[in-house]
Amino acid sequence: VVSARPPAPVALAAALAIAIGTACRPPDDVPRIRAGVRATPRDGGTLRLAFNQGLATLDPSVANDDVSAAILAPLYDTLLAFEPMDPDRPDAPGAGLRLVPQLAERWEVSADGLRYRFVLRADATYRDGTPIVAADLRFALERALRRPDSPFAAFLADLVGADAVIAGAAPTCAGLATPDPRTLELTLARPNPALPQILTMKFATPIRADAPPDQTGDAPLTSGPFEVARWDHGVAITLRRNPHYRDAGRAHLDQLVLLEQVPRDTAFLMFLRGELEACAPLTAPDLQWLLAQPAWRPQLRRGHGMNAFGARMNVRVPPFDDRRVRQALNLAIDKDHLRRVLGGDATIAHGILPPGLLGRDDALAPYPHDPARARALLGAAGYPRGLDLTFATFTDDEAERVAASMVADLAVVGVRVRIETMAMAPWQEAIRLPDGPPFSIATWTEDYPDPTSFLDVRFHGRAISAEGSSNDSFFADPALDDLLDRARGELDVDRRVALYHQAERLLFDAAPWIWGYHRDQVEVVQPTVRGYAPHPVWGRDFTTAWLDPAEDAP
Amino acid sequence: VTRFPTPGPGHVRRGRVLGRVVRRLAGALVVAWLVISVTFAMLAAIPADPARAIVGPRASAETLARARAAYCLDRDLATRYGCFVARIARGDLGESFREGRPVATILGERAWPTAQLLLAALALQLGLGIPLGVFAARRDRATGSAGSAMSAWPARLADLGLLLAQSAPAFLVGTLAIYLVAYRLGWLPTSGYGTPGWDRLRHLVLPALTQAAAGIAFYAGLVRAGVREAIGADFVRTARAKGLSARAATWRHALPVALGPVIALAGLDLGAMLSGTVLVEAVFAWPGLGREVMMAVLSLDLPVILGAVLLGALAVTVGNLVADLARAALDPRVRE
Repeated sequence: VVSARPPAPVALAAALAIAIGTACRPPDDVPRIRAGVRATPRDGGTLRLAFNQGLATLDPSVANDDVSAAILAPLYDTLLAFEPMDPDRPDAPGAGLRLVPQLAERWEVSADGLRYRFVLRADATYRDGTPIVAADLRFALERALRRPDSPFAAFLADLVGADAVIAGAAPTCAGLATPDPRTLELTLARPNPALPQILTMKFATPIRADAPPDQTGDAPLTSGPFEVARWDHGVAITLRRNPHYRDAGRAHLDQLVLLEQVPRDTAFLMFLRGELEACAPLTAPDLQWLLAQPAWRPQLRRGHGMNAFGARMNVRVPPFDDRRVRQALNLAIDKDHLRRVLGGDATIAHGILPPGLLGRDDALAPYPHDPARARALLGAAGYPRGLDLTFATFTDDEAERVAASMVADLAVVGVRVRIETMAMAPWQEAIRLPDGPPFSIATWTEDYPDPTSFLDVRFHGRAISAEGSSNDSFFADPALDDLLDRARGELDVDRRVALYHQAERLLFDAAPWIWGYHRDQVEVVQPTVRGYAPHPVWGRDFTTAWLDPAEDAP
Repeated sequence: VTRFPTPGPGHVRRGRVLGRVVRRLAGALVVAWLVISVTFAMLAAIPADPARAIVGPRASAETLARARAAYCLDRDLATRYGCFVARIARGDLGESFREGRPVATILGERAWPTAQLLLAALALQLGLGIPLGVFAARRDRATGSAGSAMSAWPARLADLGLLLAQSAPAFLVGTLAIYLVAYRLGWLPTSGYGTPGWDRLRHLVLPALTQAAAGIAFYAGLVRAGVREAIGADFVRTARAKGLSARAATWRHALPVALGPVIALAGLDLGAMLSGTVLVEAVFAWPGLGREVMMAVLSLDLPVILGAVLLGALAVTVGNLVADLARAALDPRVRE
């Protein structure tokens, strides 16, 4: 054997090269991009973002994921919209959830809640300057009802004649009328106070009947403050300001460049190098690092999220068919620790309705962390020696951290859990089946901010089916169904809220989920980015943002 | 300089090469047919409703019925098989249910970025691996196989480097490369595809190096062993005896023989490289087939997965054919 002398010269040279390379660069504990000091919005500039998923489609009748939500927001206007965020007061109760007219000039509802009448603004146009007429709105709604791959048909099911269009038996919907080019009337078979919220969804954006049957083209006829300049599938989509837009105050940027499918780690390095104006979602280590840098900490932007996280149980499968077991698991979880795992940006949940949403009972306290009571309840349920369970989760940095934290807490009360990690899509499919994994991580984000988009979808007996349940706890309680049905059609807001408070208490006790937390949105932006906070409904909506670079500061 | 054994007259050689091409093409067709059949068997073996798997979880009953008819799923197994082969022969790979666009269009868009990445990686692997291997072999020759302590440590270090390069996963090498070269030193872009021309080339360097890292080490080792063996062979000794320098004998006589296995393996390696693009393209946000497949797998977009498997298998078959012909052109013994 030849004696192994240390490979001194080469190793030294390599170490030196790395040291010089790293030392020559300025450290990034301060932003590389410097900002101006303007007080009022400035027009111009390009804002660059990266998404770690790809953009599947620009077709508003089928687009239904986080990425398209953020990209469609500046492209398509709707009759009504949610107010833009006030970046100075992102924490105000209900911020971003107030309805404001957008394409509508005014709107009224009949006293019985069955007839809605919208009058379009006279200056509402598409990006090519042609006027938007009521028939285009009617066409879009019927398209969402008719298209077999539209996930939105169910949201319009209360319209008179909607069932016939969904079934393919009628070409037009009897509940939609356009008495003149600027008026759209909707007639419902039963009251639905959430209809205005539903009409903010992008499937309700006007589509001209003579538009190509397939709006998935790369340059759709849009109506919002921005339009598509170019889309290289899988690489990036570039939006530019719509020159015909009626409200110049809603679009300050020249361009928005949205990169597709950039891994989180890469996106964060790009952001630090100044190649992106904003970066989200942040991994826990990156967020911790930013919080520790005095120059970066003020660059974090926070906003509420209309979501709920926790763990769901199939209440028809032992041991989860025993309410005491479900309550014991709720008591076993240390939610303060969960919050710390998430960097503090979360509200502990007592149910599925997030803070700021109508119907949430803010007086209801979450389950306390009480391992002793949890053990006693498990003993009473016939498991004095604890339990062995399997917990299904999906591959995601945060989901895996949360799962690990919960499993550690459950071990303290004698519940031994094996974690089974799946890819997101198969996981989503599996838990919807009656014989799928009975115990798993749970996530939910609303389709529109109303309790029906949380409670009816996740806990109503109607939402259970053998082929795939959106009520994946398979929780069916006639008392809850009755409360939800009454609340759904209740026009008096106070009475409606009271009904939802009752529903929340019933679900709190029944505990079909381990109620976890509501996740805030956290994003880091360069100092030049002004007028932005994550929107509770649209997420990363930079429509009203503006840039304040230093070089041409006044 | 005469090579051994002496090649036959030109027309005989051309006839042999042509016959070889025809035989190999026929073989490639058989492989394509096998791949299509295995894909069909996979589709038939899925325990869930294949129509549901094709159109996605949110599709309505009508869409489901349409897919059933299009794939002849309501018929017996033999008819279904015929249908399946006929559709593929027409180039109809179905529609991605995530994007709602034809799979052939998507794969067409993604093929060119991956081809650029693979060609650049192959060029780096051979362009760096072969000279490195030759130099290592000549050094081995000069110092004897055991070597003195003085000359042993660079060789050992090189061995260690080769081992590390071969065993480090692409996501680690890629992430380190991005951190050091792109982020810290700022020499190259962090990720992305860039615009055609110089910018594209700058974007290509790090992904291609990451993709090639293991291959450079592998081919250097292969060439080193081959050249070391060939240098001792009779025909190299004869060349030396006829007055050729050691350097010329190595490069002109020993290397071509050692290259045979390198080229054969490069053809075979195409499959491994294609699967390697899944990680490399994901790390560098390179819009190629690998990243598309990963996205399709994560969202259960079966038509895209099937199409990519078919395309990959065909690419490997063609790659092998090319490698086989190149090898025949280089080494007279293979031609015989």
